[in-house]
Amino acid sequence: MAGTQLPNDPYNIIITGVGGQGNVMASRVLANMLVKKGFYVTIGETFGASQRGGSVMSHLRVSKKDTWSPQIPKGKAHVIVALEPTEAIRVLADYGNPDVKVVSNTRPIHPAGVIAGDLNYPAIEETKKTARGISSHAWFIDATDEALRLGNPILGNIIMLGALSGLDDLPLDKEDFREVIAESLPQNKVDINMEAFDLGRGLLKE
Amino acid sequence: MKIFGPNELLEAVINKNLCIGCGACIHLCPYFRSYKGKTAMLFPCTLEEGRCFAYCPKIEVDLDELSQQYFGRSYEGGPLGNYLSIHTAQAGPKVKKASFQAGGTVSALMSFALAKGYIDAAVLTDKEGILPVPRVITDADEVLTCSSSKYSASPTLSALNQAMTDEYTKIGVVATPCQVLSVAQMRMNPLEKEDFVDSVALVVGLFCTWAIDFRTFAPFISERVDITTITKVDIPPPPSEIMEVYMGEEKIEIPLNEIRELVPETCSYCIDMTSEFSDISVGVLEGRPDMNTLIIRTDRGQKIVNEAVQEGYLVIEDIPEENLEHLMWAAGNKKKRAFAKAKEEGMINAEEDKKSYLRLQPKTVKEITG
Amino acid sequence: MSALLDKKEGAEHLLMGNEAIARGALEAGVKVAAGYPGTPSSEIIESLAGVAKDANIYVEWSVNEKLAMEVAAAASFAELRSLCVMKQNGVNVASDFLLHLAGSGTRGGMVLVPCDDPGALSSINEGESRFFARTVEIPLLEPGDFQEAKDMTKWAFELSEELKQLIMLRSVTRLSHASGNVRFGTLPTGEAKARFRCDGFILDPDEGIVISAPVDYKHGQQHEKLKRAKEIFEDSPFNTYEGPEKPELLIITSSACTLYSREAISILGLKERVGLLKLGTTWPLPPKLLTRYLSLAEKILIVEEVLPFLEENVKVIAAETASEIGIKKFYGKNDGTIPMVGELNPDYVINAITKILEIEYLPRPEEYAAKTQGLAFFGAPQRELIFCPGCPHRASFWSIHNALELDGRKGFVCGDIGCYTMALLPTGFTTLKTVHAMGSGSGLASGFGKLGQFGLDQPVLAVCGDSTFFHTAIPALINARHHKSDFTLVVLDNSGTAMTGFQPHPGLEVNAMGDNVPDLDIAEICRSMGARVEIRDPFELEETRATLNNLMEDNEGLKVLILRQICGLSPEKKAGKKYEMAINEEICLGENCGCNRVCTRIFRCPGLVWDKEKQVTRLDEVICTGCGVCADICPAGAITRKEAV
Ligand SMILES: Cc1cc2nc3c(=O)[nH]c(=O)nc-3n(C[C@H](O)[C@H](O)[C@H](O)COP(=O)(O)OP(=O)(O)OC[C@H]3O[C@@H](n4cnc5c(N)ncnc54)[C@H](O)[C@@H]3O)c2cc1C
Ligand code: SF4
Ligand code: SF4
Ligand code: SF4
Ligand code: SF4
Repeated sequence: MAGTQLPNDPYNIIITGVGGQGNVMASRVLANMLVKKGFYVTIGETFGASQRGGSVMSHLRVSKKDTWSPQIPKGKAHVIVALEPTEAIRVLADYGNPDVKVVSNTRPIHPAGVIAGDLNYPAIEETKKTARGISSHAWFIDATDEALRLGNPILGNIIMLGALSGLDDLPLDKEDFREVIAESLPQNKVDINMEAFDLGRGLLKE
Repeated sequence: MKIFGPNELLEAVINKNLCIGCGACIHLCPYFRSYKGKTAMLFPCTLEEGRCFAYCPKIEVDLDELSQQYFGRSYEGGPLGNYLSIHTAQAGPKVKKASFQAGGTVSALMSFALAKGYIDAAVLTDKEGILPVPRVITDADEVLTCSSSKYSASPTLSALNQAMTDEYTKIGVVATPCQVLSVAQMRMNPLEKEDFVDSVALVVGLFCTWAIDFRTFAPFISERVDITTITKVDIPPPPSEIMEVYMGEEKIEIPLNEIRELVPETCSYCIDMTSEFSDISVGVLEGRPDMNTLIIRTDRGQKIVNEAVQEGYLVIEDIPEENLEHLMWAAGNKKKRAFAKAKEEGMINAEEDKKSYLRLQPKTVKEITG
Repeated sequence: MSALLDKKEGAEHLLMGNEAIARGALEAGVKVAAGYPGTPSSEIIESLAGVAKDANIYVEWSVNEKLAMEVAAAASFAELRSLCVMKQNGVNVASDFLLHLAGSGTRGGMVLVPCDDPGALSSINEGESRFFARTVEIPLLEPGDFQEAKDMTKWAFELSEELKQLIMLRSVTRLSHASGNVRFGTLPTGEAKARFRCDGFILDPDEGIVISAPVDYKHGQQHEKLKRAKEIFEDSPFNTYEGPEKPELLIITSSACTLYSREAISILGLKERVGLLKLGTTWPLPPKLLTRYLSLAEKILIVEEVLPFLEENVKVIAAETASEIGIKKFYGKNDGTIPMVGELNPDYVINAITKILEIEYLPRPEEYAAKTQGLAFFGAPQRELIFCPGCPHRASFWSIHNALELDGRKGFVCGDIGCYTMALLPTGFTTLKTVHAMGSGSGLASGFGKLGQFGLDQPVLAVCGDSTFFHTAIPALINARHHKSDFTLVVLDNSGTAMTGFQPHPGLEVNAMGDNVPDLDIAEICRSMGARVEIRDPFELEETRATLNNLMEDNEGLKVLILRQICGLSPEKKAGKKYEMAINEEICLGENCGCNRVCTRIFRCPGLVWDKEKQVTRLDEVICTGCGVCADICPAGAITRKEAV
């Protein structure tokens, strides 16, 4: 595990997905873990109507010294966590750069236009190839499928956080996770979330 | 038969006010619905070929093809179409009395066919107030609840589609000429479906000069009487020139000229007065309000009439010459006028890439229009 | 206990801007807080409501913004500190009272927090509340980050008491809904006693009557207050400068744009060339401070959202002091350096600076940028907004749409603001034809309903949500009934202010603080006006449709159809599925004549997915909420539902 040193300052994380996938919760948990380590964290989020089936994004800025803009400048993401695979591509198009890392779920959520047959949804293999072509490294994880195995698809976001911790770019430790989760969720949910976090971390390491 | 999709149906029929609301496109799918006499498309459908278009009697009707199919010869344009024989008729003693329009011939035939199992469902037209309501009837006695004419155009064929969905295999249907034309198209499996079966076992066609548009008729009548009290509406045979509206014992008379104002434009293009593609056609008989004119057109029609007579459901007699002459004259007149009008509007045998109302041999058109 | 009540001075928490404002109010000893829900403002009242019991304060979701301001003002008149909160449009609703309140002045510290939504991220306008501060002549503060959001809120109460005037503290989406570290101050311990003194000398600000008249006297007083505010603002720690002594370019900015500007300067490495004057007190501007900084540079760039408010006000000072500071070259919205429309971000500021200073900037290698061209389009299909799986609005608008089509007289629906605004999109079958302010659907319908005299023969419908009903639809209904206007209102009653997160409203048995309160019955209210009222469950599609057709055909005045079904996102709904759904692929008609995918092509619940390969519709059991409605639209009976155990 890295110390409290950041690979870049500010270190820019984008968590993206589709409304209803637990984007906001994931960004809050992650930010709180980092605040516990003494960082300044700024989160910029999309709320409201954009949550209804639309693309959502949280921008996290992690810094040792300052509060940064809640919007990351174009081309300046260091890591992208995608709860939905094509959202990774959408975000890469705007915020990607040759050094960016991508951690993405594989489970698609079809946009209305795709359901209606007006738009095409790319095959997952195609998405993987695209992502790999414009990032330094892209990991794909069956987070929703694993979450279903754990009994609740919403745990997908926690599995993805676990996976992010597996990159070891940030000081994301398990005990901080337990504390943060315990502050926001009822006691009986903590263990299953811990399991999801570990699972995600393990999946990335594979 | 040329087949297009719902968008063409919308454009060539509904948006041009040529839809009579026959119901042939209703209940085939989630898109077309009929409400208070009007056919509406709820949502767009993108298919390029569909049953809605194929069944519609107001667009791409190939008269030669239909005539070949059902009578083994091209469409010749005679005033009454092809038939085996013409009679006068009346319900027989086996049939309970009901408020028949005329002789009760139609109700008698349908009760008989149901009772004897020639059909397992009858597609009829009931009413709520003065609104015609299509029904699928399976009980011989219940046929009588649908007796009497509703002079508004009715989406009766929606009930036929419903009966097919419900998997009845021997369906009888009572229909106006436009509807009979549509049924004839349906039975030809226009979309060439592999699993197609012709489940229509009997078509009884009504005579019809025109129908009224419910949407204009309802407010017209409610200005004169309380709609909920109406028990029967009748148009006695010529030369009376009136519509009679009964409220139990009471009755008012409305001059037919006023009623003709409520007839939709599309009826003036209709080339058929006697339901030429039916098995049996029935109309009123001039001078005899308690009797019908009966035309037998097919062998299966003949068979059912014969048995119905034998079993006491129907009484038939020879038709007086003067009645026949007048019938020919009236039917020929309607046909001639409609052909002339459709021809003028370019709705007959239109160019290959255009949609046409009718297709038939050009020389027949000439013969009819003179 | 909530972090908001952390007593430890200096404790650091990650707070959303809205939570920081709430904490600031708590540190100031606020006693009464009132608001009307509206993104991005709602979490302020929500946070305060959550701690109301422990903090011994009173918090309410008022029926509308004008009431919220009146409720808060009453507390101020009774010498308590009070807060009122609304989104930008709300200030318009409250503005009549606002004008009078600014004229009468306040007693206990009172702060109005409007949250603007530059870029209309969750609005249908990007209206500005700052101009209200200038129009009604009250001081305006704009926090530039999360810490300031808290600190400034606390200070705003003190300032309000010092000036005996309402203070506007304006936030924006990117502060309200963003989060950052906030270091806490102390929470007050003292008790406050409410009393309204109103029998002193009538002009006495503390004991007289509270009114904006006599106008010449009170208006004069108001100007004295503004003058005093200017003086105070000259030394405010919320106005800061960072940069060289002689910058080539001076950026003047406020609010979230401070963070964008700072980031732009940092990314471009221009700390030695560009100065940043960040203003926290933006009306009235402190003239001496501005004169001092304007003197530093020849080129001035003003960065703000949305309209050129700061820009205009700075230019006035520059004109007044031109002889002293010389002629400046201004860049900003008026000359197009910064867009006049939409929200800003660091990239816009980077663009502006590079243009003015003529420098090159490439955020990433050209070759990389080329690779991403078109990707957002081909690699990531657009996501249009849609109703949630199991949303009652989808079912409601399905029936409304169908009723209108069947009716065939080209009827139309006037809408307004709520989740159901999306019914102007395909997800609601493009049913709404007008959308304006809260309650405006009913108001417009009341007007349309009188046009029969001039030949309008189309049926008129309006929709409103349950919360909107109480907010402003009621007066429209009264108007319609009294004037015998002929229309049908459909109340989409999903038991809460769903769009903004299930805030209670007067139709419910609980208030913001969780107390039991009397609930007002929408049906009874409408009946008492003499409207014909029907109540249906929108999930009963056919019944709903038939009822609507029936109501539309009844042209005897005001008709109300209440469609009751709980929001798909509500906690109750999320607890469990009503039905287990299944699709029989064997009998699914797919794209064949007879269906042509009515479920996925038209109805479009995200729980249903079209399988292109197999040419059948599949169920996404992760997304389906088990509402059961799609079973009723499938013509083949391929979709089935079974009561869930
Ligand atoms: C719109 C209309 C116009 C007509 N115009 C003429 C005409 O010009 N000349 C003429 O000789 N006869 C006309 N008729 C036929 C005539 O009114 C009688 O229906 C026919 O003579 C049969 O009489 P009946 O006593 O056997 O009928 P009944 O035994 O009383 O049975 C009537 C049958 O008609 C069906 N029916 C009723 N209304 C409709 C409708 N709107 N659409 C489809 N089916 C319906 C019912 O299902 C019922 O089975 C018309 C009928 C209709 C419905
Ligand atoms: S093509 Fe078929 S599915 Fe489409 S509208 Fe016509 S009948 Fe319905
Ligand atoms: S099939 Fe019948 S109801 Fe449908 S469009 Fe044609 S005439 Fe109208
Ligand atoms: S509505 Fe029914 S038949 Fe049509 S595509 Fe959907 S599941 Fe298949
Ligand atoms: S039951 Fe059908 S309509 Fe309801 S949420 Fe599931 S898929 Fe959507």
